[in-house]
Amino acid sequence: MNRRTAIRNVVIIGAGATLLPACKMTDKGSIPLKNLSITGSEQSMLEELCEAIIPKTKNFTGAKELKSHEFLLTMIDDCTSPEDQKKFMDGLKAFDKLSHDKFGQIFTGYTPEQKKSLLSDIEKGKEVSDDVLNFYRTVKRYTIQSFTSSKQYMIDIRKYKMAPGPIFSGCVPVKSIS
Amino acid sequence: MEENKNTYDAIVIGSGMSGGWAAKEFCEKGLKTLLLERGRDVQHIKDYPTTSMLPWEFKHRGQVPFEVAKDNPVITRCYAFKEDAMHFFVKDTEHPYVQEKPFDWIRGYQVGGKSIMWARQTQRWSDFDFDGPARDGFAVDWPIRYKDLAPWYSYVEKFAGISGNKDGLDTLPDGEFLPPWELTCVENHFKGIISQNYNDRHVIYARCAHVTKPEPIHIEQGRGQCQARNLCQRGCPFGGYFNANSTTIPWAQKTGNLTMRTHAVVHSIIYDEVKGKATGVRIIDANTKQATEYFAPVIFVNAGAVNTNLILLNSTSKRFPNGLGNDSGLMGKYFAFHNYRARITAKYEGMLDSKTEGSRATGAYIPRFRNVKKQETDFLRGYATTFNANRGGRGGGNADGLFGEELKGKLMDTSGPMGPWNVGSQCMGETIPKETNYVNLDNNKKDEWGMPLINFSVVFDDNDEKMIKDFMEQYTEMYTKAGFTDIKTSDSKQAPGLDIHEMGGVRMGNDPKTSLLNAWNQLHSCPNVFVTDGACMTSTSTQNPSLTYMALTARAANHAVELLKKREL
Repeated sequence: MNRRTAIRNVVIIGAGATLLPACKMTDKGSIPLKNLSITGSEQSMLEELCEAIIPKTKNFTGAKELKSHEFLLTMIDDCTSPEDQKKFMDGLKAFDKLSHDKFGQIFTGYTPEQKKSLLSDIEKGKEVSDDVLNFYRTVKRYTIQSFTSSKQYMIDIRKYKMAPGPIFSGCVPVKSIS
Repeated sequence: MEENKNTYDAIVIGSGMSGGWAAKEFCEKGLKTLLLERGRDVQHIKDYPTTSMLPWEFKHRGQVPFEVAKDNPVITRCYAFKEDAMHFFVKDTEHPYVQEKPFDWIRGYQVGGKSIMWARQTQRWSDFDFDGPARDGFAVDWPIRYKDLAPWYSYVEKFAGISGNKDGLDTLPDGEFLPPWELTCVENHFKGIISQNYNDRHVIYARCAHVTKPEPIHIEQGRGQCQARNLCQRGCPFGGYFNANSTTIPWAQKTGNLTMRTHAVVHSIIYDEVKGKATGVRIIDANTKQATEYFAPVIFVNAGAVNTNLILLNSTSKRFPNGLGNDSGLMGKYFAFHNYRARITAKYEGMLDSKTEGSRATGAYIPRFRNVKKQETDFLRGYATTFNANRGGRGGGNADGLFGEELKGKLMDTSGPMGPWNVGSQCMGETIPKETNYVNLDNNKKDEWGMPLINFSVVFDDNDEKMIKDFMEQYTEMYTKAGFTDIKTSDSKQAPGLDIHEMGGVRMGNDPKTSLLNAWNQLHSCPNVFVTDGACMTSTSTQNPSLTYMALTARAANHAVELLKKREL
């Protein structure tokens, strides 16, 4: 290694060292994604939003427990087009802005009443942009899918059996349903 | 030395629906058999990675990732290409082909081939099907009739396990059946209405390759009773349906006579000009690209209809410059398929006090009723049809405007009324093989194993269009008579191929000038080579063809053994 290269390397290492803490500060989300760039706070916001759509109740699982926000990010990242991904991200930013405008803080910090008020406005389409509507509907659709395909829902509510068995009755009275 | 080491009593090319049968028959008769498969091994149960996965365990809940769908538009159109069975299908990008005209070629390159993911419908042909070309003046006359195949249908049905009902119809002969599942209330209602209104139309139970009640032979195969999981495309841990992996191949292996060679891309069949017959097969190893030759006195080509055409067309010699056995120049031509474009759906608001309970792996079936005993429409031949009627579930409903506990409550509420009966039918039409519908080799384009790519030029014709129109008219009338409402017909406009019933190109016939194979599926001009997969089909009729391939294969293999004994091959 000649002197010039050695000096350059020192400079690069030094630059790397100063960059490292900066990387941490970019607040990258913990879910591995190929296409979407989601920050940790956006991830937490989605987690809260999903839970507001399908909350945990006394005896039954909810979105947070099911990690519905991870499912929805994975689905959008893997199973939708770059255009739809962009629309989702645009909507997410617009939703963040709307949350700020409405109660002066991010959705994660909302009280339950504030969450209810915002979601109710969006459901009614009250002065809400298409970006926000599209974002909310996408989140809601995947949250519902995450819930209705969950183990507890499929077994307890839908009586799912992987192997129903050989007996099939083609015609039984409806009232026999248990 | 090499020749001795690589010499067998029989070689079978392809380990799927029909090849598995050839291997089983030969091995049982004591022939040392080499089974060549271009893909990887798939062992029953052990190599079904998703078979016991629960719905919530799939990362994408069954959906195909966007990139995969974008890069592989053809295979993505296949109904069974979903997250749980994607690994059994060939992706477009892995094995490209040429489409002079669009053709959706659905493939499964592995031991068992497409028998792992097939739809398991098994209806016999009748003489109304075999007589078709001769009576209606298309293609060439079949060199066989129902009586030639009937005992072999019985033979394969008993072994494979076919669930069915004895219906006594001359249009769809009865077979060796395990018990049927029940039809639903509305299927029986439709059956009644149709029999009151038409004397030539019959709604019956759709026969299928499921072990509804195992016989000793199925237990001996290590297979058990079908549990109606309807996850067959993943491979079945019970062996509840027929596939080569659970049934024919292990049976062949048990004899000790089978040698399986996977990752063997067949390049060509070797023809010996002096002996005047085929002597073996040249393969390219899929991984090392190394060529090897194997030898045997009898060769069965069961590579799947299209690849069988490809291998034979690529097997050129001084004697056969245009492909093995292709003196007539017709190889690859008269290629046909099934017309699966049309559907009809409706609702039935009656019988709302009834529902079904449990699950089954089949539905109802209406055999072809058009032009059966005489020509009666302005198009040739006709269509068979599925018929299914199932009750919509409870609860669910509209989630608009709801969120939070209210939404959750709605999703969990199953106290609401059940939906109406949903009914539907798929048209399965016979297509007319024509010289202008063909597959051929594109010698300018080669794959990474040096094989020319296959090119498709296969299209629907006016006869198919008229048939679709008639199906829609007749079924609208039949559905209306049954009191169904909200009747909707649709034409998918899909390309040929998506029916996954590709047939022909190496058709059977009596005359070597107009056909490639004789009544025993031997190449007329190279009789120690047999073709018993879809490529051999002279016409297509309407039935799902696999059962017929199985019967033709078992029949031809046993004939080959007889000929070998008599030293006539």
